[in-house]
Amino acid sequence: MGAVTSMDEENLVRRIADGDRGAFDELYRRTSPWLAVRLRRRCADVEIVAEVMQETYLAVWRAAAAFAGASVGGSAVGWVWTIAARRLVDALRRRAREAQLPLAALPALAAPAAEDEVLDAVLGDAMGTALRRLSPDLRQVLQAMVLDGLTVRETAVLLGVPEGTVKTRARRARIALREALS
Amino acid sequence: MVRAVSAGETAATTYAWAIQADGLRVRAGRRMAVDGLDLSMDTGVHGLLGPNGAGKTTLVRSIATVLRPAGGTLTVLGEKVNGRIDLRGLRRQIGYLPQEFGYYRRFTVREFVEYIAWLKEMPAADTPGAVQRAIDRVGLADRADDRMKTLSGGMVRRAGIAQALVNDPRILLLDEPTAGLDPEQRLQFRALLRELGTDTCVLVSTHLVEDVAAACTDVVLIDVGRLVFQGVPADLAAAAGDEAGAGDSAAERGYSAILRRHREAASARETES
Amino acid sequence: MKIATLIRLRRRIRPATSDHVTAAVLERYATGGAGIRADALWAVEAHLEWCASCRERLGEAVARRSPETMSLLALVQAKLATEVARSPRMRVRRLPRRVSRWTPPGLWPRLAMTLLVLAAAVGLDLADNSRLLPSLVLLVAPVAPLLGVAGVWSAGIDPAHELVVASPRAGLYMVLRRTLAVLVVVIPTLAVAGWLAGASPARWLLPCLAFTGGALALGELIGLRWAAGALALAWTAGVITPSVLAARTPLLLEPASLPYWAGLIAVIAVALVLRRDAYTGLRSETWFVR
Repeated sequence: MGAVTSMDEENLVRRIADGDRGAFDELYRRTSPWLAVRLRRRCADVEIVAEVMQETYLAVWRAAAAFAGASVGGSAVGWVWTIAARRLVDALRRRAREAQLPLAALPALAAPAAEDEVLDAVLGDAMGTALRRLSPDLRQVLQAMVLDGLTVRETAVLLGVPEGTVKTRARRARIALREALS
Repeated sequence: MVRAVSAGETAATTYAWAIQADGLRVRAGRRMAVDGLDLSMDTGVHGLLGPNGAGKTTLVRSIATVLRPAGGTLTVLGEKVNGRIDLRGLRRQIGYLPQEFGYYRRFTVREFVEYIAWLKEMPAADTPGAVQRAIDRVGLADRADDRMKTLSGGMVRRAGIAQALVNDPRILLLDEPTAGLDPEQRLQFRALLRELGTDTCVLVSTHLVEDVAAACTDVVLIDVGRLVFQGVPADLAAAAGDEAGAGDSAAERGYSAILRRHREAASARETES
Repeated sequence: MKIATLIRLRRRIRPATSDHVTAAVLERYATGGAGIRADALWAVEAHLEWCASCRERLGEAVARRSPETMSLLALVQAKLATEVARSPRMRVRRLPRRVSRWTPPGLWPRLAMTLLVLAAAVGLDLADNSRLLPSLVLLVAPVAPLLGVAGVWSAGIDPAHELVVASPRAGLYMVLRRTLAVLVVVIPTLAVAGWLAGASPARWLLPCLAFTGGALALGELIGLRWAAGALALAWTAGVITPSVLAARTPLLLEPASLPYWAGLIAVIAVALVLRRDAYTGLRSETWFVR
């Protein structure tokens, strides 16, 4: 029984499966800032983000044994994100129906500042350039599907556009990337 | 989690309606329970109403690809349902709660929903998260690890809805889902239906006209295996007109008025011929 | 997405020491990502999913730069504390439920009955020292699995049958898995019983398998429950009863018939595979199909 602070996240989840509140609090401490920032970049409504985070960690507490036992070999943090992304989609569905309000708007996509030479180092190759050149709405769809792991239907709910639009944009994004990379 | 996106996922849909029936005929026992039904349904919550023996359950079972149509065509998600198609891909996108929902009494809610997730060929990695999500959506999170025999009738029904939801289906078929639910649970269920109706084609077969009027975007009324009425709930209520017919609410009066008119017209046609 | 594209994206994910996110980028990301270029943002998010140390540094950046996020975190933590305290955790009970993928829960009583029947047959055989009657174990062997097989795909035995039939996994393969579970119980028992009663293995094994396969194949036409019942009835009336009454081992169970049994098994196997869609597919609901 080691100190929870020195364990990796997979082991923390295993301890949570055994009912260890300390491990749960440690997991929260380590992953909640990352999760909050990432969620806030997908949904501008802080209330929804708070609700989603609460549901996510509660699900982690309840279902940790299932994850630990599945021995899937995936990362625990990736698993937390999968739960959070789906809960976000569910929350947006509820909002869409309940109050007939427009879905929580995505935060405005800021244009990069001209003087950000210091950030060039991260992605300098053809792939990065291609991604940069994509128009924002195509990139949004790619981000939702590839990076966040959502399905077409879930992406449609997240972005507040029809499913057909999501599919069209995904196809156009793929074509654009292929052209840029060839 | 980063994942690969297949070309099939982003291919344009080639069908207009999620569920489409043309002159559908389905046998139940020796009787033709569905007899010449024309129906088109897409995203939204569709309430299926009709008297006993109208063929509601038979219709739901044939859309669930349990029964073979005896005539006409039934197209689900662009695939014609007959004996020749590959049913597995289609069934992975369907969620079904039968009228007589059978379960294993000694299983816990979670174990049962996991078993159904296995039956639906969900990837093992996704199953625990999907099971928890389905259980949370129906509000059974507190009882997830209790054996099903300890649950009340309404909770068992909710567990049934959870197993139908576990694979986040495109088509959701619920046969009498509110049987045994108390009024508060029915309100929660209606909220869940509204949430689902935003991007799923939901078909709710029920006797309770009030459930349909409150939660459905579309009402389908069938009698003796044929379509009698399809429209929004407001039209159903308006159909009663000024008649003081049978029923405590506008929707119920509309329902009985439409049914009565349809039967009168049908018997008039019969006496003519 | 092409595999190559994905690999390029993933390469950024493996945290080599030189590939960590720089402090400047983290500060900007912590406050919403304004000013970071799109591809950098993508790489950062993919990287953070894998790299614990960068997440730690992000946490520090958030604490420094984003009071709104900090209050959000505190709020969620407070709510969680109460919820988690009163929320039950999942109790794991994995192994026994995996068995239900092979044997539906309703089948166990039938398997127990089968064992009892076989035990009775062995008992009678052993008691029959003077060899008055033909070996009961041999006579019962073909129909021993049918009691279990009848329950493998039946709404009466499996409460969840409607859901099973409507599921993607429904099909001959699943029926075979469940039948295998029945055979796993029946065949070793028969082996022991056969050894005790002194019959050679092939004499009971081939008829047993032929009847099992035959029930499955016939079940494709009239439903498994009826098929198993019909075959059991036919064998009992047509073979067991006359043999017991005449006190003579029937011709069908003599060693000379074994090649015919083997041939029958081959034919049945082909028939099973040819019509396997009967277990997957849509059923016509006629009066005798279940």
